[in-house]
Amino acid sequence: MKSLLTNKWLKSFGITATLMVIICFMTGPSGSNTDPVAGFSGSLFNSAPFLGLFITRRWVVFLLFALIAFVVQQGWQAYGRQVKVRYAKVMATPRELKSKRPVRLGTYGALLLLALLLPHLVTDPFWQVAMVQQIAVYVLLALGLNVVVGFAGLLDLGFVAFYAIGAYATAWVVGSLPLPPLFGHALNNFWAIPIAILIAMAAGIILGTPTLRLRGDYLAIVTLGFGEIITLFANNLNGITGGPQGSRIIPHFHLSLGPLKYVWGNGPIPYYYLILGFLILFLVGFSFLEHSRVGRTWTAIREDEVAAESLGINPLKYKVMAFAIGAASAGFSGVMTASQQNFVFPTTFSLFFSINILVLVIFGGLGSIRGVVFGAIVVQTITMYLLHSPPSGYQPADLYMYIGAMLVGMMIFRPAGLLPATRRKREIVQLREEAQ
Amino acid sequence: MSSNELLLSVEDVTLRFGGVVSLNKVSMNQRRGEILAVIGPNGAGKTSLFNSLTGVYQPQEGTILLHRIDQPALSVIGQKAHRVAKAGVARTFQASRMFGALTAFENVKIGAEDHSGLGFVGAMFKGPRTRRGERASDARTYELLEFVGLTKQANTVSASLSYGDRRRLEIARGLATNPTVLLLDEPAAGTNPSEKVELTELIRKVRDDMGVSILLIEHDMKLVMSLAERLYVLNFGAVIAEGTPDEIRANPAVVEAYLGSSATKGKN
Amino acid sequence: MGGFIHYFSSHFQTLGQEFWPLLVGGLANGFLYGMVAVGYTLVYGVLRLINFAHSEVFMAGGFASFFVMQHLVGTSSPNGISSVLYILIGILVGGLTGSLIAMAIERVAYRPLRKRNSPKLAYLISAIGASYFLFNFAGKEFGRYSVSMAQPYTNHPLFTIFGAGVQMYDIIIFIAGALMLFGLDRLVTLTKLGRSIRAVAQDAETASLMGVNIDRTIALTFMIGGALGGAAGFLYGMNVGVVYTMGFTPALKAFTAAVLGGIGNLRGAVLGGLILGTMESFSVAFLAPSYIDVTAFGILVLVLLVRPTGIMGERLGRSA
Repeated sequence: MKSLLTNKWLKSFGITATLMVIICFMTGPSGSNTDPVAGFSGSLFNSAPFLGLFITRRWVVFLLFALIAFVVQQGWQAYGRQVKVRYAKVMATPRELKSKRPVRLGTYGALLLLALLLPHLVTDPFWQVAMVQQIAVYVLLALGLNVVVGFAGLLDLGFVAFYAIGAYATAWVVGSLPLPPLFGHALNNFWAIPIAILIAMAAGIILGTPTLRLRGDYLAIVTLGFGEIITLFANNLNGITGGPQGSRIIPHFHLSLGPLKYVWGNGPIPYYYLILGFLILFLVGFSFLEHSRVGRTWTAIREDEVAAESLGINPLKYKVMAFAIGAASAGFSGVMTASQQNFVFPTTFSLFFSINILVLVIFGGLGSIRGVVFGAIVVQTITMYLLHSPPSGYQPADLYMYIGAMLVGMMIFRPAGLLPATRRKREIVQLREEAQ
Repeated sequence: MSSNELLLSVEDVTLRFGGVVSLNKVSMNQRRGEILAVIGPNGAGKTSLFNSLTGVYQPQEGTILLHRIDQPALSVIGQKAHRVAKAGVARTFQASRMFGALTAFENVKIGAEDHSGLGFVGAMFKGPRTRRGERASDARTYELLEFVGLTKQANTVSASLSYGDRRRLEIARGLATNPTVLLLDEPAAGTNPSEKVELTELIRKVRDDMGVSILLIEHDMKLVMSLAERLYVLNFGAVIAEGTPDEIRANPAVVEAYLGSSATKGKN
Repeated sequence: MGGFIHYFSSHFQTLGQEFWPLLVGGLANGFLYGMVAVGYTLVYGVLRLINFAHSEVFMAGGFASFFVMQHLVGTSSPNGISSVLYILIGILVGGLTGSLIAMAIERVAYRPLRKRNSPKLAYLISAIGASYFLFNFAGKEFGRYSVSMAQPYTNHPLFTIFGAGVQMYDIIIFIAGALMLFGLDRLVTLTKLGRSIRAVAQDAETASLMGVNIDRTIALTFMIGGALGGAAGFLYGMNVGVVYTMGFTPALKAFTAAVLGGIGNLRGAVLGGLILGTMESFSVAFLAPSYIDVTAFGILVLVLLVRPTGIMGERLGRSA
């Protein structure tokens, strides 16, 4: 009888309950350094409604949640016995999407139409600005980081550095920094695009080449350090970057073709379309890239570097390439942000930013382009919603706590993301089979 | 089949890991077009030899030369593995190492592709050169899959192929790099008798039809003796004998060190 | 050119004048880096990965001892034997908290991935996530601004060496750091646990065949590294104060120290810490204060370029 109430059940409930306790603390009130217990005791003993049914102490509410989650999980596991069959399917599916081409193109067309109409559907000024600054630009950034982390499997924690380089390069080229502009006189923002991309790429190659020769995890820490250093320089090189004040006089994109003149200044919407245009270019380019020689080779290197090298592939070259492409797209995003917001200053470019982009990529699915776009839109929308109308007790800084918890959770329970890339999913399934 | 022209010459190669001597003054050579085998008990240093020949390990002493037709010989020691591969040395691995997440077709295609340039801009926008390259490597891949008899499995994810199919796929992948010599590390391990026969034929066909020299490590004596034209016997990291299959069978040192010891254990 | 030489010679003059004070301060920091660095090196030995969340072990040790000191010391200014007692308590509390948090990190962020045979990238991301969660959680629960710790000792120059005043604080760190690092070295070299750790570092599979409990050994390795990291958090916080982000920079430097000495090599980590602390301290003579943190990063990149195996070499699993 005792063995019926197996340890397995107890253990599994224990895990669920622990998770709920953590969530209970995370969502509870904050404490302070004069009263460190306040946050914890408030989290447990404050009153809260249970699903709108009745009001009770928070710990009871979360215990009930844990019970519900436990029951759901047990049910899921009974169903999950079929999961193995699903795994087998993953391994067997050939990449044969061509048969469904009309459906695919139809979906893309509909999504594009929605994207084009979106500024007319969303009229709230907060959301219009958010759409450009916090969603479109972040999708762009996430797509770039996806090349590095998703395709090539390299952890880049200093992505923000290249974004900062792009933004400062823009300010430089258009003549808004204390440093005299590149060609002695200010240029149109459009010129900033190739220049920023080149500078960011060069920085990526200089940083990546020595580091990528070594173990993969060294890259993570070197980029982490690099991200911090770039901010430090931006903050302190007053004569070049404008120091902590940065530059607040960056002009908008403008076009003058003979008699035709246009300035991207009137609210966020013109920028929305500008970025959308580039975004489509990136989307097409990166999905071609994924299914090209380069994309295949990245997968090969990720799976088995020695075998790849035995085919005459230079892994370092391909890794540096991925790193440089990521850096370039971050640099490009920097141009967009700096031009749209008209300012650039150091505190924007913190480590938090790099991690934020990483979350977008992981949430949707490492290496999966549609996943990354979806993930970026969903996560950024939630973030913006929390900023716009925060629930009681929520402070903006708490966001990063949730982000951290999500990273761990995703890696344990759904490492390939919500809309996984086929190749990555196969890899993970394979490794798990090996472990069993 | 083999000419008298040298293809690989290994001289006094010594490889150490810390204090452990893995290869001890190994000397050997292979002629162009030859099917050569290296045999020896487990831990004799066969795979270390392969890894040294392909630039994965860097021996501390000795020379390894890969003779090429229109170019000066390449000194393998000190070269990176991918350079050695580009110079014409292809290999398979002891436990087959496919890119499990890719299909059989993609596995071979990676080998067939030209990795010398960068070409990512072309790849992003499907430039004309990229398209041409893709078409050429598609054709070559299909040819090779046909050669090893895997056209039906072309779109199968390689991790779910059978063991024998994986072995053949690995050979196709190696051949895709247009090698002059193919190093096979225990190609028959884990295959069943009928697969073994097919594999023996395939290996011979690789040499006869494609003119690729074969260097082979194998435990299966029957396979080695029927396939190899000449053998080297390694024991404790040193070459103890060299000769044709008949000579090796008759060599008392080999019988004692290798066949004898394993015969008493009832293995092989 | 002449101006350039003059610029540097004047800086070397400063360095010459300040040599001894800078050395003392640098060595004190170096001990702290070493104490954190051994945590990286130990975990690297058994798991072959960088424990990005180790910075939060340091932070947790700092906070826990902060609250205890607040309670014990309050506004009194202890000295003599009570100082010694309080410092011992602080080290104990910091170390205990550190090892608990390290164990929790292993349990939550690493072990499930190990059981699932996850790719290496997953470990790194999970570790980053854990670090992120922990320090922001601390920020939520304990406030997001820096506070200084109640001092369990009175800081004053004890004696001078070549004219450099050696502070009470320096002495505490020298003694505590040296004792703990020596203890760790003996632990890994002599005890059964130490042998298990070395066995797992050398070859986990064989070690498990020989009867070493891998899960337990890995958990204990995290805890030992965590104990030193947490204690270092207390020693650091005692002087600088505590804040939820306090782990980031010292941990990055400690990691540099571990690489500098040769990752996986315990004595190397300590040596790396001392060298890094000293070099950083000397760079004060050459760089504006806001650039001091760049020194460590520059050294890291330089080491990776020139000698990625570190000064003493990577010696996974061999006796310290």
